[in-house]
This record gives sequence, C-alpha cells and structure tokens, in this order.
Amino acid sequence: MNFCKRAWLNITAKKGRSILLILVTSAIMLFVLAGLLIRNAADTATSNAKKSVGATVTLSANREAAFKKMRQSTSTSKKKTKPTLSTSPVKLSDAKKIAKLSNVSSYNATVSTSANAKGFSAISTSSSSNGGGMKGGMGGSSTSSGDITIDGVTATSSVSDFSSSSSKITKGRGITAADEGTNNVVIESELAKEDSLKVGDTIKLKATTGTKKTYTLKIVGIYKASSSTSSSQGPDASDPSNSVYTSYTFANTIKGSKYKNTADSVTFNISDPAKVSSVKTAGKKLINTSKYSLSTDDSSYQTVKASMDNVKSFADKIVWLVAIAGTIILALIVILMIRERRYEIGVLLSLGEARWKIVAQFFVEMVMVLIVSIVIAGAGGKFVGNQLGKQLVSQQTTTATTSTSTSSQGQMGGGTPGGTTGGSKPSGNMKGGGGGGGSMPGSSSSSSSTASASQTDLDISVTIMDLVELGGFGLAIMFLSIMLASGGILRLQPKKVLIE
Amino acid sequence: MLKANDIGYWYDRQENSLFEHVNLEFESGTSYAIVGQSGSGKTTFLSLLAGLDKPRAGQIELNGEPINKIGLTNYRRSHVAIVFQSYNLFNYMSPLNNLMTAMAITKSSHQGDKEYAADMLRKLGITDEQMKKNVQKLSGGQQQRVAIARTMCCDAKVVVADEPTGNLDEENTKDVIEQFQKIAHEQKKCVIIVTHEPDVAAMCDHSYRLAKHEFSLEK
Ligand SMILES: Nc1ncnc2c1ncn2[C@@H]1O[C@H](COP(=O)(O)OP(=O)(O)OP(=O)(O)O)[C@@H](O)[C@H]1O
Ligand SMILES: [Mg+2]
Repeated sequence: MNFCKRAWLNITAKKGRSILLILVTSAIMLFVLAGLLIRNAADTATSNAKKSVGATVTLSANREAAFKKMRQSTSTSKKKTKPTLSTSPVKLSDAKKIAKLSNVSSYNATVSTSANAKGFSAISTSSSSNGGGMKGGMGGSSTSSGDITIDGVTATSSVSDFSSSSSKITKGRGITAADEGTNNVVIESELAKEDSLKVGDTIKLKATTGTKKTYTLKIVGIYKASSSTSSSQGPDASDPSNSVYTSYTFANTIKGSKYKNTADSVTFNISDPAKVSSVKTAGKKLINTSKYSLSTDDSSYQTVKASMDNVKSFADKIVWLVAIAGTIILALIVILMIRERRYEIGVLLSLGEARWKIVAQFFVEMVMVLIVSIVIAGAGGKFVGNQLGKQLVSQQTTTATTSTSTSSQGQMGGGTPGGTTGGSKPSGNMKGGGGGGGSMPGSSSSSSSTASASQTDLDISVTIMDLVELGGFGLAIMFLSIMLASGGILRLQPKKVLIE
Repeated sequence: MLKANDIGYWYDRQENSLFEHVNLEFESGTSYAIVGQSGSGKTTFLSLLAGLDKPRAGQIELNGEPINKIGLTNYRRSHVAIVFQSYNLFNYMSPLNNLMTAMAITKSSHQGDKEYAADMLRKLGITDEQMKKNVQKLSGGQQQRVAIARTMCCDAKVVVADEPTGNLDEENTKDVIEQFQKIAHEQKKCVIIVTHEPDVAAMCDHSYRLAKHEFSLEK
C-alpha cells in the first residue's frame, strides 16, 4: 500500500495544485449533485402525486346508448312527437358492488335537483330571468326548476370543489355519510348573510316536482364558494350562492319516491391512479353497460405525471451531461498533470515500481480529492438544488395556474387533456425544462389544475443516499479519467525520462 | 557478477552503431569508472546495464542469467540501484520519505526501518533537520548524497551512476566518490560510475574508456 502513502504525501505536499483540483472537482460534483437532487425530488413528487392526486371512475347513465335508442325510435316511428331521451338513474346497489373492488378508496353519490325557498329569499341576480321573487308563489309551482339548487352528495369532502379547496366550510361542518336520511343542509355564506341564517337554524324548501311537499331542513354548516368557482348549471342557473348541499337521500326525496336508492352519478375515488383502467374494466362486469357507463378521469394524475416526467428527464439529462463533461474536463486535467509528472513516473519506473501501482497512486490521489469535493458539493448542493428546483417549479406552477384560469368555466365534460404530450421537449437549458410545464394546457377542470400545481412542489434535501450516489458518479468519473490518461503512463519509457 | 555478453547498440541504423560485440564483466565489491568523449555512448551503455533499455544485440547477464529473463522491471526493482546526474528523487517528499519509499518499492530487507534510513543519511552528512524538510530545499550536493544514501538502503547488488558528480565542487566530488567506494568495499556491491572527470576515474578501482565504438581497460 505504499502507493497510498505516496498519494497522500503528494496531495499534502503540493497544496496549491490540490486545492485547484478540489475546486474543479467540487464544481463538477456540485452540478452532478444538483441533477441528482432534482431527479430524486421529481421521483418522490411523482409517487406522492400518484397517491394524492385524485383519479376517479364515475358511474352514470349511458347517455350514448340512450341517444342511440332515441334515434332508433325516431326513425322507426312515424309519429311527429319530439322523441324523449330516457336515461335511468344509477342504482346504489350497483355502486356498492363497484365500491368493493380493490383500489376503490371511497365513493360519492351525487343527486342534483332544485326546490323553491319558502320563508326565506334566494339570492337573485339581475341577469336571472326567473328571479327569486316567486318565493314559492303558486304560479311558479308548475316549473320543474326551483330557485334553490340542491346538490345531494354522500359527503361534501369528496366533492371536487371542496377537495380542491375552491369551496370551504367556514362554519359548522360539511355533509357526511352520517347525514344519510336526515334533512341536514349546508348553505352558502352569501345566502346565510342575506337571510341572517346561522348554523342550527332551519329553512323550508318546497319541492317543485313530485309530491310538491314542503320540507324543513336544519343548517349544519355554512360554506364559502370562491367567486371564481363556476356552477355547473349552465347559463340559466340561478346564482351559485343558491346552491345547497344535502345528503343524496334528501335530494332523492325531493325528486320523488321512484328515485329512492338511486343517484345521478356515483364517483369512485381510486387509491392508485395507475389502476384506474383496471377498476373500470372490473366495474363494467358488474353493471348493465347498455344502461350505465363508467367513465374515468385521471387527467390530474396524467397532468402531474407528464410535468414531473419532464422535470425528471431534464434532470436526467443534466446528470449525464455534467457527468460526461466532467469526465472530459477531469481527464484532460489528469492528462496534463501526468505529463507534468513524467519525471516522477520515470523515477518510480527506474526503481522498478509496477505500472499499475503508479496508475493506482494517481487514482488514490483523485479519490482523496473527490472525498473533499463531495463534502463541499454536499454543503453547496442543497443551495443549488433549491434554486434549480424553485425555478423549475415556479415555471410549472405559473403555467398550471394560467391554464386554470383559461380553461373556461369548467364545463362538465371539459375535454380530456389531449395536449399533455405537446411540443416543448426539454432542451439543454433551464427554460426548456420549465417549459415542460407549458405542455399541460387543456386540463379538464379548474380543480385538477390546482391540484397539479400544488403537487409539483419539489422537496430538495441532501440525504446520505444522495451523497453515496454522488460518490458513485464521482468514482466512475475519476476512474474513466485516470483510464483515459493512463495510456501515457503505460507507454512511458523510463530511460527517456531519466536521460533527457 | 554482471556480464555484458557480446552486446551491441544503435539508435536508428546499425551502420551508426555506438558499439558492437562488447564483452565486459563487472564484479561485486569493486568500483568501475567508464570514461569517454561526449556522445560516445556512455549513458546509453549504462542504461543497458541498469535495465532501462534492451541491447540490440547480445545480452546482459546477472550471475549467468540474462536480465530479460529476470524481467526488466523485476531486475530494476531487486537487483540494480540507479543514481543519475539529476538525482532522480521525488521532489514532493523529504529525504527520509524518499528513502522509505524506495525501500518499500524495492522491498528492501530494511523496509519500514526509519532509523536505518536516517542512519544512512547521517553517514552522508545529512542532518536530522535536513532529512525532514522537502528535498528540494537541499543543495545539489546534498540531494546527490540523498540519492546515494538511497542506493545504500536498498538491497540491489549493482549500483550504476551517471555523472554523479557532474555539478558538485571538488570537495563534494571527493566525498561522494568516497561514499561509492564504501558501498563497493563495505557493502560488497558492484559500483559502475560514468564520468568525464579523470580525477573520479582515478579514484575508482578500475576504469574503462569507450572510444571508437570499443571499450578498453585503462586501469
Ligand atoms: N534517443 C536517442 N535517439 C537517437 N539518438 C540518440 C538518442 N539518445 C542519444 N542519442 C545519440 O547517441 C549518442 C550517444 O549518446 P549518450 O547520451 O549515450 O552519450 P554520452 O557518452 O553519455 O555523452 P555525454 O558524455 O555527453 O553524456 C549521441 O551521439 C546521441 O546523439
Ligand atoms: Mg551521458
């Protein structure tokens, strides 16, 4: 192990050269580490996103089949009457079967209907043609649309507006599964203010269809809808503040007795978004597909995944680019160093030292330099990684936010993100990498984009594993450089060196 | 013990050979000087004896065994010690570490014995203080003595030196040659010194002259 001692003596005796080597190596290691950090962070973020970004499967009436049926009946019958589209509400018994499939974490039944406010006034908007003034007036009773929109749900927490925080419970609590069969209601804060309603108060609603009975509901919570939240009712809808949430059972009661144990649609939350299509396939076997259909929505997952994949492939490129550039730079430095040390090599050869031990001495010297450099790079890596990560994420988030505001008022079906793989390949520079985020417009609804923006946070911290990985890269770089440079050592003739 | 057996050497063409059909024998416990005009091929001949190069014709034998059979690296490591004009020391080490390194590489019987190395340096007039600082901080004469001390620490029975007194003053020259004489006579080694100084040649036991492509015994 004499060559180790020689390496140590050399490194410590030639301090100036050693410090320069350490600085160059530190710089290279710093870049490799930054790349590794971003790549690892993107990895973690992707798997976190997988877990937390909602992917859903929705069970609803098979509208396509219903349309087909309607067209068929139009062409066969010669009646001039307008054909009606008949869809069947989803049976909860079907939903419960699907809920038992693996990877289904929870489900939410939704029933939408409306009723008229009785004893309090709905918010009226000037643009609204059928204003809230009717107050359960006799004339309006025949219309099927009331001034209060009732969203019957299993639990408000699994409604996308709430899970994406565009709506928030401000007082009391939300609707939960425990509210099944009760007349509990959650109303919007504007409506509460207008009518001076508090949690614990009761309101009356008169059904516009079916029994046309009046029901008394107890307010258990007040929520605040963000102003940008768009209602899903289309242009005719009343003010969004007139939306109330009840248990789906109450909404069914309003709709009429034949709607018992049904829902407009049931949304299943999938625990592992990658399994969405297998849940869909399994679910299809459990239902009558001519009446019902299962649709999937893992667009948020796909969006996050696509943007994260972009960051990752960019980080991968940094790692490889820097590793290759580093190898070349270090190899050139080592070659120069070895040329400068020809005399020393000649002396070693004249003493009868084996050539591989001379190469080993240079390698050990470089490993010593590497160890110090990794410590320096480890200290600086967090800083550099943070800056890089911040820049990447800020560009991701800006583009995500932009696409949120541009993705128009959240139409229900609003286009799957066909463009996720769009243009910008991450090129060699930062902008290119960040531009990866630009390739995710067309997210289907505001909620999914918000989710993706919050998921792209890169957690940058230097772990022991990172340093070990960095050490591996460093060793490989050093090994390659020494190998490239050692050709000179292996060919060197001691006579030439000593006699010149 | 060391025998040049009908060796010949040339750089580019045989017609320009430096020497051919050289038959010389060097014994242990004896010192030899090789003199000759500049460019006559003394250094070249010495490098053949040192195993730094191979002769174009013939072979060098150590105790009857051709050195290319021993292996040149192995031969250099175990059987020959080299002192050149430019000292060939490691410039990033102290004299003591230079000796320790050489002893480790050549697997000397005194390998790792710091006191032994220090003793050798003291014998050649290197102070304890000098032997611990960087070798480059020593004078030319002192560095040359460190290189000689190195040959004394190693077990190699053949010591070759190329103009070891080239840049020393008269007094130092005398000193250094006396050390070589001691190496030959006390350590029973075979010492071969190339020189252009007649005084140095006169101090050695025997002297060969290389002239007109031939070696001739002068003394
Ligand atoms: N690498 C080489 N290639 C070609 N010719 C060489 C080479 N080295 C030496 N020579 C030539 O060989 C001849 C002998 O050189 P060498 O160095 O052996 O002489 P020398 O007797 O040691 O001379 P000096 O007393 O000046 O040291 C010289 O003429 C020189 O020009
Ligand atoms: Mg010469």
